[in-house]
Amino acid sequence: MAALLMIAASCSPAFAADETSKAAVAWDLKQLMSELAQVKTAKSRFVERKYLSVLKEPLEFSGTLVYAAPGRLEKTTLLPKPESLVVEQNKLTIEREGGRQRRTLMLQDYPEIWAFVESIRATLAGDLETLNRFYNTSLEGDAEHWQLTLQPNEPKMLAMVSLIKISGSRNWVDSIETLEADGDRSLMTVVKDDS
Amino acid sequence: MKVSARWAVGLWLSGVLACVILISRAEFSTDLSAFLPRSPSPTQQILVEQLRDGVVSRLVLLGVDGAPPEILAKLSKNLATRLRSEPTFASVNSGEDVGLEKDRDFLWRNRYLLSPAVSAERFSAAGLRRALENDLQLLGSPAGMLVKRVLPNDPTGELLQLLEQLEGTVHPATRDGVWFSRDGRRALLLLQTRAPGFDIDAQQEALAIIHRAFEQARAASGAQGARVLASGPGVFSVSTRAKIKGDALRFSMLATFLVASLLLLIYRSPRVLLLALLPVASGALAGVAAVSLGFGSVHGITLGFGATLIGEAVDYAIYLFTQTAPGSPPEQTLPRIWPTLRLGVLTSLCGFSAMLFSGFTGLAQLGLFSIAGLVVAVSVTRWVLPALMPRNFSAAASAAFAPAVLRLMQHSARLRFPLFLAVAMAALFLSLPRGGLWDDELSGLSPLSQEDQQLDELLRGDIGAPDARYLLLVNAPSEDQALAASEALAGTLQAMVGQGSLAGFDSAALVLPSQGAQRARQAALPPAEVLRANLEQALAGLPFRAELFEPFLGDVAAAKKQALLDRRSLSGTSLALKLDSLLIKRSAGWVAVLPLRGVSEPAQLRELTGKVGGISPMLLDLKGEADQLYRTYRHEALVQSLLGSLAIVVLLGANLRSPHRVYEVLAPLIAAVIITTAVLSGSGQKLTIFHLVGLSLVVAIGSNYSLFFERQNFASQNRERTVASLLLANVSTVIGFGMLSFSHIPVLHGIGMTVAIGAMLSLIFSAILTAHGEAGKR
Repeated sequence: MAALLMIAASCSPAFAADETSKAAVAWDLKQLMSELAQVKTAKSRFVERKYLSVLKEPLEFSGTLVYAAPGRLEKTTLLPKPESLVVEQNKLTIEREGGRQRRTLMLQDYPEIWAFVESIRATLAGDLETLNRFYNTSLEGDAEHWQLTLQPNEPKMLAMVSLIKISGSRNWVDSIETLEADGDRSLMTVVKDDS
Repeated sequence: MKVSARWAVGLWLSGVLACVILISRAEFSTDLSAFLPRSPSPTQQILVEQLRDGVVSRLVLLGVDGAPPEILAKLSKNLATRLRSEPTFASVNSGEDVGLEKDRDFLWRNRYLLSPAVSAERFSAAGLRRALENDLQLLGSPAGMLVKRVLPNDPTGELLQLLEQLEGTVHPATRDGVWFSRDGRRALLLLQTRAPGFDIDAQQEALAIIHRAFEQARAASGAQGARVLASGPGVFSVSTRAKIKGDALRFSMLATFLVASLLLLIYRSPRVLLLALLPVASGALAGVAAVSLGFGSVHGITLGFGATLIGEAVDYAIYLFTQTAPGSPPEQTLPRIWPTLRLGVLTSLCGFSAMLFSGFTGLAQLGLFSIAGLVVAVSVTRWVLPALMPRNFSAAASAAFAPAVLRLMQHSARLRFPLFLAVAMAALFLSLPRGGLWDDELSGLSPLSQEDQQLDELLRGDIGAPDARYLLLVNAPSEDQALAASEALAGTLQAMVGQGSLAGFDSAALVLPSQGAQRARQAALPPAEVLRANLEQALAGLPFRAELFEPFLGDVAAAKKQALLDRRSLSGTSLALKLDSLLIKRSAGWVAVLPLRGVSEPAQLRELTGKVGGISPMLLDLKGEADQLYRTYRHEALVQSLLGSLAIVVLLGANLRSPHRVYEVLAPLIAAVIITTAVLSGSGQKLTIFHLVGLSLVVAIGSNYSLFFERQNFASQNRERTVASLLLANVSTVIGFGMLSFSHIPVLHGIGMTVAIGAMLSLIFSAILTAHGEAGKR
């Protein structure tokens, strides 16, 4: 019930904002997506905080994110323990302990993980079709400061994740916030890595 | 009618009646066991059981296509719901979670007794610390959402461990909550029937239920263009039976119709036509009755073979009718042609009796069928037909074309040299090593069409169904010992999975560990206060909330004193089905079956499994074993054909008392067999056992031709009639078998093609090689 209220609360203003922004500056999701699609490679550092009810304090992870169009995403966690996640096409490879532990999953086999991966990858790729397959989307703000809200359309996924909020500026994603159905949440902030 | 004739007719009528009664009570089978040896080795025995009754034999794979993915998904769910309400199916899986709650509940409640990872070390302070650190890392990954739900009860991740082992590595892609092919064009369902695969009536009923449910589901989902494709062993037996029945019936009827039309054209008398068909019909009845009496059941393929009897048995009547001079009673014809006819039949019997002693039921049935059929057909021709023939019988018209044929034959001797050349070339061609003359795979024998086999491969690939090529078998005196042996093997196999020479394996012990293993796991769990102390020590410095793991402490304490699991604990879950299929009670003791996936080095597996202490597992390569079986089968058939040929030579030698005459009779047959084989092989066919049976028939039928030709001293009138009868007999044989070659069923096609070509060549070669002597004398 709480989750439903939250969705309702976040959806209606988003809808309204979308209407007004369209009328005012004629800037919409399609435009955002095509702008995001312009980006061919991006390298950044991230800090991710997870607020979980099972823990006394938030978990903090940090590392690098590398994106290469159209479909390669590499998330390398450096702290607290090194771990790498590489998504390429429909394959997810997880490496731990310096490559001594390695697992490859086909995304189709794990629909929830797939949906989660696409929330980031399809957004970065400006792939609206794929986003729509997994989520109901709504957009707030303007080109300089936008927030894309994704609500899973599969009941199984919705039972775990209520909302994913992605905010950014122009063709850059600043942060990804995930609200889980049980009230846990995580926030990932991303800054350009020019090194 | 003479008294003896009356007796003959009376005897025949009562024989027909007896046959009809026997056949009406006969059982007909189509399962593969007829193609297995009568005294199989233990592995072959298990192979047969697996094919007949094993879990693999109960699988039905469904593919639903012809609509957009969203609609297919709806359709698939709707269909699955309908099928789940049918008691015919033990399980219906469309990829949805429906029905798996009980399984998950069983695994969850009993995880500490089921998980092979449970050890004292795992629950020590150090072990728990490792587990908790791992949990922390998992919480940060995309899988964290799933992990945190079970974390308070299961920090050591036993459930995950169990699920990973049970799921295996291959599963179909999911879309909109149901299984799909990777390309998204087909929704997939995997069903398991309650009835075994060999129960064809039950399988047919199951298929009918599937199609009915699909129609309803399609109407409900509004997917007009959608269709359902079914595959699996049961589906195959149903379609095979239908096809064999349909083809055998259709082609037999067509052949009968054409031969009957030909006979009607020649004899111009419906009564004579009916008489001509009497020996055939009586022979076929006697053949089926004899097989059902001798073997308890009649195999579908034997029945299909019945059609072929028309080819030879109708000849007997043709010889009698056509060689009967106008105005003279058949009693005068018979003494003249009977010795030749009798020798011809005896020759055929020699060929077939070798098959009778085959260790394979299928071949032995064919042998018995042919022998009984031919003996009855020739007896009816000899003793019953003359009594029923019209007094003023005349087949004068039938010999009208004979003089022209005879003129043609006068020059036939010139063809001798070209024929020898052709035989030599054919023999050379056959002796060349080119990719094998024989089809060495059992699938070559399978009555399935290419499309059926392709569909099956496609759906299997989509769904990742176990190809079940390699099985590891362990025999043990008791159920629990079989489980313990499986557990001993699991360690070795797990190591192979680690090395990558094996993708995975399944075992009954995963869902029901041996009592010993369960007790050992219970003993490994620390007492409540020790576990609490270990956990506290392990938690030091980690961010987990206090009291979070109270449920874990409670669950372990409960597991430590819970009752051990047995077969009954699984009732109501789909895991019970798995247990039943992997742990089988046999007449002596139990056998545990461990299906292996992704075997890359079978040799290594054989070597490794031999070393596991105390138990001697067998590696069963289902495909290899089946193909091996088939090669043995064919080899035996070949040896028997050769023995039969030898018997024919001995028989002819004893009767003709002249090596030259034996050569005269046999030369055309040998030439026909060699050239027919070369033609078949040259046209791209790989020879199967059915071609071999066809060649035996060529010898049986062809021997009649050459024997008649070989008879030197007959008057010109008789000669004309003899030639006319041979030609007529040959044309009807070629029609009968030629029809069969249009069948898509390998057995009918193989025999039909071989005999049609071989019989025609036998006649022509007999005219060239055998008849020249007396044609030249004139």
